[in-house]
Amino acid sequence: MVSVINTVDTSHEDMIHDAQMDYYGTRLATCSSDRSVKIFDVRNGGQILIADLRGHEGPVWQVAWAHPMYGNILASCSYDRKVIIWREENGTWEKSHEHAGHDSSVNSVCWAPHDYGLILACGSSDGAISLLTYTGEGQWEVKKINNAHTIGCNAVSWAPAVVPGSLIDHPSGQKPNYIKRFASGGCDNLIKLEEEDGQWKEEQKLEAHSDWVRDVAWAPSIGLPTSTIASCSQDGRVFIWTCDDASSNTWSPKLLHKFNDVVWHVSWSITANILAVSGGDNKVTLWKESVDGQWVCISDVNKGQGSVSASVTEGQQNEQ
Amino acid sequence: MEELDGEPTVTLIPGVNSKKNQMYFDWGPGEMLVCETSFNKKEKSEMVPSCPFIYIIRKDVDVYSQILRKLFNESHGIFLGLQRIDEELTGKSRKSQLVRVSKNYRSVIRACMEEMHQVAIAAKDPANGRQFSSQVSILSAMELIWNLCEILFIEVAPAGPLLLHLLDWVRLHVCEVDSLSADVLGSENPSKHDSFWNLPGNTQTLTELELKWQHWHEECERYLQDSTFATSPHLESLLKIMLGDEAALLEQKELLSNWYHFLVTRLLYSNPTVKPIDLHYYAQSSLDLFLGGESSPEPLDNILLAAFEFDIHQVIKECSIALSNWWFVAHLTDLLDHCKLLQSHNLYFGSNMREFLLLEYASGLFAHPSLWQLGVDYFDYCPELGRVSLELHIERIPLNTEQKALKVLRICEQRQMTEQVRSICKILAMKAVRNNRLGSALSWSIRAKDAAFATLVSDRFLRDYCERGCFSDLDLIDNLGPAMMLSDRLTFLGKYREFHRMYGEKRFADAASLLLSLMTSRIAPRSFWMTLLTDALPLLEQKQVIFSAEQTYELMRCLEDLTSRRPVHGESDTEQLQDDDIETTKVEMLRLSLARNLARAIIREGSLEGS
Repeated sequence: MVSVINTVDTSHEDMIHDAQMDYYGTRLATCSSDRSVKIFDVRNGGQILIADLRGHEGPVWQVAWAHPMYGNILASCSYDRKVIIWREENGTWEKSHEHAGHDSSVNSVCWAPHDYGLILACGSSDGAISLLTYTGEGQWEVKKINNAHTIGCNAVSWAPAVVPGSLIDHPSGQKPNYIKRFASGGCDNLIKLEEEDGQWKEEQKLEAHSDWVRDVAWAPSIGLPTSTIASCSQDGRVFIWTCDDASSNTWSPKLLHKFNDVVWHVSWSITANILAVSGGDNKVTLWKESVDGQWVCISDVNKGQGSVSASVTEGQQNEQ
Repeated sequence: MEELDGEPTVTLIPGVNSKKNQMYFDWGPGEMLVCETSFNKKEKSEMVPSCPFIYIIRKDVDVYSQILRKLFNESHGIFLGLQRIDEELTGKSRKSQLVRVSKNYRSVIRACMEEMHQVAIAAKDPANGRQFSSQVSILSAMELIWNLCEILFIEVAPAGPLLLHLLDWVRLHVCEVDSLSADVLGSENPSKHDSFWNLPGNTQTLTELELKWQHWHEECERYLQDSTFATSPHLESLLKIMLGDEAALLEQKELLSNWYHFLVTRLLYSNPTVKPIDLHYYAQSSLDLFLGGESSPEPLDNILLAAFEFDIHQVIKECSIALSNWWFVAHLTDLLDHCKLLQSHNLYFGSNMREFLLLEYASGLFAHPSLWQLGVDYFDYCPELGRVSLELHIERIPLNTEQKALKVLRICEQRQMTEQVRSICKILAMKAVRNNRLGSALSWSIRAKDAAFATLVSDRFLRDYCERGCFSDLDLIDNLGPAMMLSDRLTFLGKYREFHRMYGEKRFADAASLLLSLMTSRIAPRSFWMTLLTDALPLLEQKQVIFSAEQTYELMRCLEDLTSRRPVHGESDTEQLQDDDIETTKVEMLRLSLARNLARAIIREGSLEGS
């Protein structure tokens, strides 16, 4: 049974573009066309405004929380071509860093797995993807991948951290050699997989969409050797890409569904067992993979009038 | 692939009207966020009034119910006991254990029902009262279903006693049956009835029973044929009832509260030695006859019917759909799996279904600030995905108190979840550093075996020392023990403190050697050498000669080494000059002290025999 447990009044004066819960589900960050980023404490069904952050000069498209081990850090990106990193210091939120290295709107920001350090990937309409790495003492190192996507990049999503070879503990604290990878989706209808091998280079191109790719989401790792990416596009399709073995590098797409309208956003639940898809048809649909590999829609979350009916039950279909 | 049985259900989120705007969403660790948005990113918004609300939605809200919490807590204990039942037990003893487990679960449900019933009655707000009452009926239905499953699947009552169990079942759940029995017993030939029904189950075999019953049944039939009771229509209909005539029974419909009551009564009179495999025929027809085409079966009816048809899979499936949380299906399926029933019923994925349901249930528990601890144990007993699910969930538990953090860490350490331990310790260490609790930060980094962080914290300690001239958290540093080896900087910190201790205890010779070794072994960071050399000054100025000639040469070498390669780090010119001044003075002083000490040392060593 699905219930609304809290309604947060953000008081944004314009359209909200992103809302993200922090790692523990205790804080909510929102951003809007009204150029502000707001942070709320939402514990126990309440809402307390913690911060109203101003600094962007255009609509803010996305926010992303960094892993709590680095402290309370939030990144935001905006139409004003900037990426701002906010930090909570002594109980107050302040702008910690501003990155203005793009020529056009920055559409997407995504933090890398915490094992790699504090690294932020930013995708922009100028077709480039920049990677900001925190090197200490308030300094950020910037690497840029130019022309990752012609016309523009709409989304970036990191692969979960997997230590190559055996997963032996490194007691001396040496950092094991991770291969950093992320996926990006762009206006060239492609999904690109970028890998860092000293330098960042394009490792693969995934082609299946016939229109702009709007979002990509790399599924969290559940310990299996399979990697999974979900992508959605202007063409109304959502694909699930799987790669069975880290070394084989062949990705095969499976069509989840063809919707009647643009699909804007896809996202995995934290245990990767449910994919949520938000489309132009005003609905959020939830999908689950069944044992025989088929994807089944388990619920529709629909915005609309009327009260939430307490007896509406979610169709929990057992895996068949 | 099996098709979906129906359209996925739609949940409506109350919000601003508007077919114009789209719905944005994202996942939180245990919930979902939705809000209105416009995905088409344009610079100028279209001045459409936007809705500033964000809705946080969750499933599994039952987790928050106070009364159900007892259900979750107590069933957790039963669950664990069940997992630990000796696998080697077979046959009768195993069966009796499993039956006992089943009865335990049911008594927990009943206790919960009772409590909720009390609350429902006492509720001041009628709406609340109704809500609780409906919960009570849900629990009651759960117990009804479970009980039936216990009889049919676990107890596996053979023909004969099966009906007795079913009678008990009905009697327990439907009060009115008592009045009907009274009616029957009050008829003619009570002695015949008495002797028939007062059976101590074991003394008669099935065939004896069946024979007796056949004989009695025939006698009744004869009475009916001979119209013996023609004068009394009441007695005639009674006779018909006793013969199991469905029409006659249905005439008494008001006394029969539901179709399964009707079913059992029918069986009682027409086929008391019914075998389990024949049940389903009677069940379906009873349902059909009772409803009489006027109404359609409710979910509960379908579930019970599936049970009578021994279709375990269907039972579980229907329950999953009808109930609002996973508690029931997870525990029941787990129990049935232990009875080895899931395989024998040819499910495609046998115990995988058990695991799937347990995972769903346990994940739901993690949404709760204290029930998550129960979830841990459930994950432990899911061999395929339990561990990784636990890893993903446990990292998301907010660590608001040290106690909670320690609890979480202990759970991770017990299961060798080193990645999670490291991650959690790092989070706590960072928090401690930000709050200037360096001792705490250090102990967390040691626990995380995080050398890099330990180095960072040690540096902070040393910097603090330079600024304030004293150490904080001496206790911790003094008792580092083997943990000191985690990082070079930490080792240095420990040893440096040891140096101070030795000096305090006036063990000057030891202190001196230690100080020197810190530099020569390169454990001390270069940036700290000046401080160390300055620390050496009082030792050099002592009346007695502490540093030997050899040691003094070493010190001098260190000093020269240091002064020859002075690092320049972008300081302003004036600062540089000032520093230079101070530096130069210090260096001069040191050179002087060292020279003096060298002289004295040489003399002393030269005339060792003399002193």
